[in-house]
Amino acid sequence: MTSLGQFYPVASPVHGLDPRAKIVATAVLVAGLFLVDSTVGLLFVAVTLMILVALSRIPIRNFLRLLRPVLFIVALTVAFQVFFSREGAIVIEWGFLEVHTGGLWLALFLALRILLLVSAAGLLTATTAPVALADGIEDLLSPLKRVGFPAHEVAMMMTIALRFIPTLGEEAEKIKGAQAARGADFSEGGPLRRARSLVPVLVPLTVGAFRRADELAEAMESRGYRGGEGRTRYRELRFRRKDALALSVTVFILLVGVLL
Amino acid sequence: MNLELRDVHHVYAAGTPFAVEALRGVSLGVEPGEVLGIIGGTGSGKSTLVRHMNLLLVPSSGGVLVDSVDATTLKKSELRRRVGLVFQFPEAALFAPSVEEDVAFAPSRLGLDEEEVEERVRESLRVLGAEDLATRSPFALSGGEKRRVAIAGVLAMGPEVLILDEPTAGLDPATRERLLALIRHLRDAGISVVIVSHDLDEVAEVADRVCALHDGRVRAIGTPAEVFYGNPELAPATVRVASLLKASRPELGDPVRFDETLAALKALPGK
Amino acid sequence: MQNPGTGTRSGGSLAVSCEELSFSYPGAGQAALSKVSFELCPGEYVGVVGPNGGGKSTLVRLLNGLLRPDSGLVRVSDHDPATEPFEVRKHLGVLFQNPENGLVAPFVEDDVAFGLENLGVPRDEMRDRVAQAIRAVGLEGYERREPHTLSGGEKQRVALAGLLAVEPEVLILDEPTSMLDAAGRREVLERLEALRAEKSVLHVTHHLDELLNADRILVLNGGELVADETPGRVLSDPELLRENRLVLPVVPRLALALGLPANLKTPEQLAEAILTRTGSETRTG
Repeated sequence: MTSLGQFYPVASPVHGLDPRAKIVATAVLVAGLFLVDSTVGLLFVAVTLMILVALSRIPIRNFLRLLRPVLFIVALTVAFQVFFSREGAIVIEWGFLEVHTGGLWLALFLALRILLLVSAAGLLTATTAPVALADGIEDLLSPLKRVGFPAHEVAMMMTIALRFIPTLGEEAEKIKGAQAARGADFSEGGPLRRARSLVPVLVPLTVGAFRRADELAEAMESRGYRGGEGRTRYRELRFRRKDALALSVTVFILLVGVLL
Repeated sequence: MNLELRDVHHVYAAGTPFAVEALRGVSLGVEPGEVLGIIGGTGSGKSTLVRHMNLLLVPSSGGVLVDSVDATTLKKSELRRRVGLVFQFPEAALFAPSVEEDVAFAPSRLGLDEEEVEERVRESLRVLGAEDLATRSPFALSGGEKRRVAIAGVLAMGPEVLILDEPTAGLDPATRERLLALIRHLRDAGISVVIVSHDLDEVAEVADRVCALHDGRVRAIGTPAEVFYGNPELAPATVRVASLLKASRPELGDPVRFDETLAALKALPGK
Repeated sequence: MQNPGTGTRSGGSLAVSCEELSFSYPGAGQAALSKVSFELCPGEYVGVVGPNGGGKSTLVRLLNGLLRPDSGLVRVSDHDPATEPFEVRKHLGVLFQNPENGLVAPFVEDDVAFGLENLGVPRDEMRDRVAQAIRAVGLEGYERREPHTLSGGEKQRVALAGLLAVEPEVLILDEPTSMLDAAGRREVLERLEALRAEKSVLHVTHHLDELLNADRILVLNGGELVADETPGRVLSDPELLRENRLVLPVVPRLALALGLPANLKTPEQLAEAILTRTGSETRTG
C-alpha cells in the first residue's frame, strides 16, 4: 500500500484523526471553497491549509509533488486571465497584449482556488492510510444501506483492491520479464505499436486476475463469508473529541473565508 | 556457447534506503552441453542470478560474458534468443488464442519465414509431448499441460542455453518425471540447461554440476558428489543415506543419483 | 474421542462421513466422483492421493459446500454441507493450494480475523482469538505486515491462522505445500504436525512423504475410491502405486528396492536398518 504513492506514513496530529472526520472535513472544504468569492478569503484559507500541512509533518517537497498534475491547468488559467481580461487599469502594454489589474487579481483568485481544491484532497490522501480511507467511506455510506445501496460490498471491494494492487503489480512485472525473455520489446515504435506490444502482458494479467478472483471467492465462501449480514468488524473507528474539534475548525475557517 | 558470470554484484534499489545487495560477487560459468543445477534457499539470490544470464538484469558491477565477449555489447534480442529463460510458473504468461500461436510468439520475432516458424513450433511441441494441444486454447489446459506449452514457447527460439527457474514447482510427480527426462534429452541434444531448484533430490537426478548459493555468494560449486558430500546440510536423501554408512562401509563411494545409490547399497556384503 | 471446539459435539460420532457420494461437472462426459464412501473419525489424520483430475479437489469442495452432490450422503460434524454450508464452515476449515489467493485483507491480523467477522464474533473476543491463532502458527510480530511482503510459507501460515481462529474440529488441507519451496513446506508441515492431536485432518497431497505418519490413505482415481489403507500397505503395493501414478519418496523407494520394509522414513532409519541387516552398528557423526 505504500506503493500507492500518495500516503505518507508519519505520526502527526492530522494523521491521528478519525478518517471519517477528515473525509467530511475535506468534502465540506471543497464544496465551501466555491462559496468564497474574495481573493483575501482564499488567501486566508490558504494560510490555514499551510498550517495544517506543517502540522501533518509531511515534507514540503512531497506535498508539492501532489500539486504537479494541476500545474499545467493552473498555468493555462493564469495565462488566459492575465492576457485576455480587460478589467481594471492597464499595467503593462506590449503590442496587442494588455495586462490589466483586474486580470491579475482574477488569475490569482482562480489559481488559488484550483490549488486549494487539490491541496485539500491531497492532504486527505497523504495523511490517511488507504485502509483507513476505505473504512471511513464504508462507515459514512452505511446509512445508505437502508435505501439499498451496497455499502458493505463497496467497502469489501475497496479492501480487496488495496490488498491485491501490489500483488498484481508484481505479477505484471513478472509477465513483462517473461515476454521480454521471449523477445518482446515494449519500447519500440510509435504509440499504436507500443499499445499493441502490451497485449502479451495485459491478456495474461487479466485472465490471471479472473482466476485469482475465482480462487479468492472460494476461499472467502469457505471461511463463512455471505455478504454483510450479521458481520462484525475487527477494525475500529473511534470518533473522539479532537475529531469533532477538527470538523468545527474546518467549518469555522470556511465561514471566515466566505465572510472576508 | 560459453556463458560466464565474472564477479557479478547486483544491488536492488541502489541509492535508496531500501537498497538490497542480492548478489555479492558471483562468478560461474555454464559449459556447453551440461546441466547445471543452482540450489540455495529463498533469498540466496538464485532467481536474481539467472536473470543476469540473459541480461534481464544488468550487474551493478562485474560482467556477463558470452564466448568471452561482453554480453552488454550484444544485441538484446540476439542474446535472449541464444539464452532462453523460463520463469517460475511460466504459464502465467500464456496469452494467445491458441497454443501454436503462443509458441510462435518468440520465433516469429526472429525474422524467419513463416514455414520455418511453423516448423519450430511443431518441433518444440513435439519435444514437450504437447503436439495434440496445438489448436487448443492455452487457458483451457491443465496445469501440467500449460507448463509444457510455456516451456515450448521458449524452446522454439532455438536457444543454446535454456534456463529453467523451478520448472517442476506445483506439478504432480508424473509430470515432474517427464520434465526431468526432457532436461536430460535436451542436454544430450547439445543444449546447456541451467536448472534452478529448491528440490535437492531432483537436482541430484539430473545435474552434471551443481552450484550452491548462499546469501548472494557462491558457497560451493563442482560435481554433485563434491558439493553434496562436502556440504551435508545441502545433501539430498540419497547422499544422506550413503554418508551415514560411509564410515563403516567406505567402499560405498560417492553415489548421488538414485540408481547408482541403489546399486552401491545392493553391492554391500550382508545377510 | 472428544475434540475441543465450538458448537455442540458429542464424542464418538464421526468428523466426516461420505456414503455413495457422486458428482459430475455440468457438460463433462465422465463423473468427477463416483459412489465414494469413507469415514473420518475424530482425531484421525487421513491422506488423500491420486492423479490429477481423479476427484480430490472435487471431494474437498463437496465437503465444504462449494459444490452440491448429485447423489449420496455427506455429513461434516453431523451437518449436511449442501443444505447447511454456513454451519459446516464453523466446524470445517480448508487450507487451499495457492498461498496468495486465500488472503483477502491488506494486513495479516485483519485477514486472520476475517472468518471471525463472518461469524459475527464480538470485537473483544475477536482480538483474543486472533492473537492466539497468530501465536499458534508462530507469526507473532507479523500482525501489521502486508501479504505481498510475506514468503510463501508465511502466507500459508497466515491462512492457517485464519482457519484456526474459527476453532473448527475438522481441517482439510488441499495440497497446501505444492506451491512452496523447501523451507516453506517445512514451516507449514511443522505447524500441521502440532495440530494432529487436536483436530481431525484430511490431507490431500502429491507428496507421499507428508503422509508417512497418517492413520490411513485414501486413493482416488477416475472419481473412484480405489484404496483405503494404512500408509504401510499403500507404500508397499507397487501395482497400486503405479496404477495411480503415485511416486514414493526417495527413502522408502530405496528401502523397498533393498527388500526392507517401506515404513522407513528418514535417511537415519534406513541407514540403521541397512547396518543392522549387514551386521554392524551405526557410528554417529
